[in-house]
Amino acid sequence: MPAVDPTTGSGRSAIRKRIADLPRSSRRRAIELALLALLVVVPLVSADAFFVDRLGRYLLWAALAVSLDLIWGFGGILSFGHAAFFGGAGYVVGLLTTTQAGVLPLGVWPAIALAVVASAALAAIVAGAAFRGRTPLRGVEFALVTLAVAFLFEQYARSSRVLGGQNGILLQGQLSVAGWSVHRGRGFYALALVVLVVSYLLCAAFLRARSGRVLQAVRENEERVETLGYDAGRVRFQVYVLSGAIAGAAGAVFYVHDQIVSPGAVGVGASTLVLLWVVLGGRGTLLGPVVATVLLQHLTATLSGTFLDTWLFAVGTLLIVAILLLPGGLLGWVGRGQMR
Amino acid sequence: MERPLPDEPPDAAARLQVRDVTKQFGGVRAVDGVSFEIGDGQVVGLIGANGAGKTTLLHLLYGRHRADAGTVVLAGRDVTRLPPRAHARLGMGLVFQNTSVFLGLSVEENLLLGAMPKQGRGRPADRLSAVEQMLEVVDLVDQRYVPAASLAHGQQQWLEIGMALLAGPDLLLLDEPTSGMTRAESRRTAELVRRLQTDHPRRAVVVVEHNLEFIRMISDRVMVMHRGCLIADGSIAEVQADPAVQDSYLGRHA
Repeated sequence: MPAVDPTTGSGRSAIRKRIADLPRSSRRRAIELALLALLVVVPLVSADAFFVDRLGRYLLWAALAVSLDLIWGFGGILSFGHAAFFGGAGYVVGLLTTTQAGVLPLGVWPAIALAVVASAALAAIVAGAAFRGRTPLRGVEFALVTLAVAFLFEQYARSSRVLGGQNGILLQGQLSVAGWSVHRGRGFYALALVVLVVSYLLCAAFLRARSGRVLQAVRENEERVETLGYDAGRVRFQVYVLSGAIAGAAGAVFYVHDQIVSPGAVGVGASTLVLLWVVLGGRGTLLGPVVATVLLQHLTATLSGTFLDTWLFAVGTLLIVAILLLPGGLLGWVGRGQMR
Repeated sequence: MERPLPDEPPDAAARLQVRDVTKQFGGVRAVDGVSFEIGDGQVVGLIGANGAGKTTLLHLLYGRHRADAGTVVLAGRDVTRLPPRAHARLGMGLVFQNTSVFLGLSVEENLLLGAMPKQGRGRPADRLSAVEQMLEVVDLVDQRYVPAASLAHGQQQWLEIGMALLAGPDLLLLDEPTSGMTRAESRRTAELVRRLQTDHPRRAVVVVEHNLEFIRMISDRVMVMHRGCLIADGSIAEVQADPAVQDSYLGRHA
């Protein structure tokens, strides 16, 4: 079996061809490592503990964005209700760690673990009903179902006494690892970064494996995938459960840190914001949504104080511009510049 | 690499048995009581004018449509009501008429998708070497990492054939494999099919085709459809001499 030899040309063109023939992963790996290095260095050089703490929250949102990019950007599964997993996990931790709800209070970490399981279970119920039935839902149909689920969840949270109604639930647990507090500042930031990196690696591993190739193929041509012998519904189910679990893990940690979870956390508005991060960053890039989430939330926090009303208007405009002018998102735009 | 069929019944008379299959759309009988058998190693051409029911029959064979009446038996198992993936797992491979390769994936990734269902339990290295061999068979070695979208039409069709072959099918259905191909490409495709038949003499092949020249190059048996019915089934010479066929189809093309 002769090796694939790209050096058939001569001199520089052959080298350029070899670079073009490289699987895109090595260039991607370089960008990933650069971003990781930046995320590690920022809290070390910044003296502003409040800023670092806030950045930690953005990283957990970024993990949520990554989980949505996994199903939407790669699997073509559009969800208008992804915050239900993130905020829902917050509610689960709240219920499990608070005495006043009448439930035996658990430690924070077991509660977080159970919240992840609950998010995965909720995802399994939604995906099982939507993708494994006799007439599986696709595209817009499924998006509408997620919209309805998020809406119902939010309405229920607002009216439920167990869930604290409009006020939500106060969370009392403190995040600590082996006696070290990771609840605030740099400690929390480190925990959030770990959650993001693990989430990212899980998504990347899923996509690199056979499952990822099948998932992308399903998005392009489901019928063809089935005629090759694959079960498209099963792949969709798997990726949705993984995505729900990741969103749940990030949300559980997020709300323990915030110490309050309220109905807005699971609602349609929150879910729409996640979609915005993914669109801005670039669907199907995993990395783009991370960058977009952190940048947009940082700008929001910095500018909304000064330009309260105009800032929201600017975000809306930004979204429209992004959809019209940058179909590949920020990362797609930057990447295209590099290729030339 | 002949894939063993674990539960193959000992008296599998035919790879594919179609009995009285009927499919109606609205008031139209697109396929009307069609019966035939295809044995191991046979290469069969399925011809007929546009609207004769070839495509509907093909859809019934691989499970995209369910027959209103009749049965389809593949490798001894009744697959009439089973979905396409069940057909694939019973050894049916498909090559679609229009480019249905995955345009966003590279040539290699497309072939890996084809290689996986049957060899999924094998080591990844084995799968990769099967893919590398196939790259040579379908003449796409230089395009290995190129997105399928950037291939020429003929190359996409060959990639499609490669995907289907990597699963090691016992029955290969080709839907107008030469549509949109140049004459030279068609001839090379015919050579490819013949070469594959020499390597795997037990594999049955059904080709739906307008291009009679192509059929003549690869098959020894032709079935003719007209208005949903099978009106002739035999050697090319027999079919061409059949007055019913001359009236309904060949006469107008000759």
